Amino acid sequence: MPTKPNEQKMEEWLVEQLTGLMDFEERSLGNSGDIKMIYLRSLTDSDTVKRFIVVPSYEMDVQEYENYIFSFPGSEKTKDRQQVMEFVMKGYIFIRIKDSSYLFDAMKIEFSGISSSITEAIVQGPNDALTENIEINVNLIRRRYQSKQLRIEPLTIGNVSQTTVVVMYDDSRVDRDVLQEMRKRLSEISVDILQSAGELEKFISERKYRIFPTTVVTERPDRVVFNLAAGKVAVLMNTVGYAVIAPSVFNDFFTAMDDKIQLPLVGWFMKLIRYIGLFLTVTLPAFYVAFTSYNPEILKIQITLLIAGSRAAVPYPSFIEVVLMLLMMEFLIEASLRLPKAIGPTATTVGGLILGQAATQAGLVSNIMIIIVSAVAISNFVIPLNMMAFTVRVLKYYLIFFAATFGLIGIVVSTVGIVMYLSGMRSFGKPYLEIFPKRAYQGKGDKQHG
Amino acid sequence: MVNERYFYYLFTIQALINIVNFVPRVLIDNRFEGALMSILVSVVLGTTLLIIFTKIISHFPGEGLPEIIHDTLPRFVGLPLLCIFAFLWYESGAITLVSFVDITLRFITPDVSPVFAIIGFLLLVTMCSRLKTESILYALETTLIINCPLVAYMLIKALINPHFSWDAVMQIITHLWTIPKYNSIAGASFIFTGYVNLAIFNRAFKSLKLRHLWMIPLSGLMVLLVTLLVPIGYHGTIGVEQQVYTWFSTADAIRSEFFIVERVLFIFYFSYLAMSLVSVVVHWHIALELVKGFLMKKKTKGVKAASNKDWWTLGLMTAGTVWMGFYFDQAKLTMFGQWFLNVRLPGELLLLATVLVAYRRRKKRA
Repeated sequence: MPTKPNEQKMEEWLVEQLTGLMDFEERSLGNSGDIKMIYLRSLTDSDTVKRFIVVPSYEMDVQEYENYIFSFPGSEKTKDRQQVMEFVMKGYIFIRIKDSSYLFDAMKIEFSGISSSITEAIVQGPNDALTENIEINVNLIRRRYQSKQLRIEPLTIGNVSQTTVVVMYDDSRVDRDVLQEMRKRLSEISVDILQSAGELEKFISERKYRIFPTTVVTERPDRVVFNLAAGKVAVLMNTVGYAVIAPSVFNDFFTAMDDKIQLPLVGWFMKLIRYIGLFLTVTLPAFYVAFTSYNPEILKIQITLLIAGSRAAVPYPSFIEVVLMLLMMEFLIEASLRLPKAIGPTATTVGGLILGQAATQAGLVSNIMIIIVSAVAISNFVIPLNMMAFTVRVLKYYLIFFAATFGLIGIVVSTVGIVMYLSGMRSFGKPYLEIFPKRAYQGKGDKQHG
Repeated sequence: MVNERYFYYLFTIQALINIVNFVPRVLIDNRFEGALMSILVSVVLGTTLLIIFTKIISHFPGEGLPEIIHDTLPRFVGLPLLCIFAFLWYESGAITLVSFVDITLRFITPDVSPVFAIIGFLLLVTMCSRLKTESILYALETTLIINCPLVAYMLIKALINPHFSWDAVMQIITHLWTIPKYNSIAGASFIFTGYVNLAIFNRAFKSLKLRHLWMIPLSGLMVLLVTLLVPIGYHGTIGVEQQVYTWFSTADAIRSEFFIVERVLFIFYFSYLAMSLVSVVVHWHIALELVKGFLMKKKTKGVKAASNKDWWTLGLMTAGTVWMGFYFDQAKLTMFGQWFLNVRLPGELLLLATVLVAYRRRKKRA
């Protein structure tokens, strides 16, 4: 029996490696003494272990039992120490039957069930959100995308976390360059822990310091499916309820899944509303600074007088007023995000109503400023994807800075600058800001390019 | 590689931006001496040059002028040619910038120091002219799509104004049959020169096949007529010569009663500021690429060295513009602007000849 010492050694090695772990189990099974199992209690489903491994071992002879174990889907016969170690750490059970080693899938997976999406809520349409389990996520997407062309490539990232990452694409529609680039960038990642889609987004994007997101991070399986059909690549991760979609261009961040559901004209209107919201939230405070401090003559005389009258009691220049109020608003948003649900409304009441009312009456800020700040805050939330909403939140300070230093010219010049910057950006080689973009996949008869 | 619609954007921005340069000035100076005839002549001339140039350059898919010249002409001919072209493009951008600074001080913010304004503009332009050729085209598209509705609005507003004097316009039209002067032809044909930007931007086009070419003479004619006649309709045939920045004074005469911004001048100024900046970026990008084309014959080592050379070139261009900003008063600037318009036309013909010769030589070799 040449392999025997080897198998024995494997078992001993494994025991040696795992001794000291609090949930380590080592048991002999059956009456013959030829069967032995090793596993980690916390990762395995104890019911499965009892019903499918322990009990049958006393009901069959060793040969039957070996066949029985091997017949389970997911069971594997192995000789590789490294693989044994990895699988035991995942929740497999190591079983030695006479001279052969088997790995038996008894993973226990704890996750919150499929819930409806929170960060990208819509009015009508599917509500499922991705879960924190990759199997279920793949299932959610497969169910919506029943094509044999859907390719799923698994890989592992993270030296310690060993996160399973899955690259999904439609083989007949995907842009080859993007796919190549994605594979390359994923293979270049070297980190210890990977546990959020945001981190992954950072690792696979072009520049380290940038302000606009170049990949969509979504929790909606229907958005993933929609993008797969458009020839894009989706990356899903285990333990994370979000998918990363690339390439993504500026317009993608202003698309809600509602747009497809609504009537065409209504959908366009909604999109227009979002862009107007973007424009307002970015420029309103800057315009306020420029109009009050630099170019009051531009507005209609009535409006100028209105603003001047409202600002009569305010003792400092307009940009301090603006920055002060905007900061208060940011604090309010941050606070209501972090506070426990029970106290949350208090913060908004105290901050929004009392502070706003009192500040104007005290003459610290003008009434119009309060209106502008609320308009800015509300129109910021119009942007459907969170990453972009946060970007826009930062962006307005850049405009305020230039408005405070150069006036209206500063606003126009820095807006041109933003357009230029956006035009210079690429998402996986695709232009980020192109008004009429070429689609990666057009219609049925077309061949994919690239 | 981009769609050919971007060619039309290059044409459009040049046609729209001429108002800021000295084209209206030249035309209005010659309004009794053949300005209208020169418009007609330059429509024919400009369209012909445009068609010839685009036809030839489409035989060099994806190639820019430096590559074409290096490939087909000896170095002692190519080098001075590239120098001349780079200088012309640089000046075209610099004049737009300097005159815009002057306009800014005169119309918008008399209290902002000119140094501040020029430095602000230059910062943006220098940073952006190092972008990729395609990126600049995308930015150009976005800018035009945002600004064109505004321009259309102002134009309609200008034309339906009851105080617009159609009689003055009619009077100018009676001077149609006058032999035009060279400088007004040179000025008027300037609006067609968007196509010369292909000298570098051809790198982004796979092979240029233009459709709807009839739109170019038609839109060019409309633009030129508007350029000349609208200010005359507002200021009168004689009064118009007293304005330096004719179009800005014209825009200032229009009032938009029901909008938040009452004086159309401001909308006009800001949309033209945005477009001019992008147009300067286009021109300086070309100048920069041409300079790179003749300076860096051998491949520069590394990205860092290449970007350093970019900065040196741009630094020189910036310094030149700042000097222009300080040295030129309004009279000198106007003279220089008109001189540029006069020199530009032969320069354009020279460019055409260069490309033609290059094409012949390549064909012979093939």
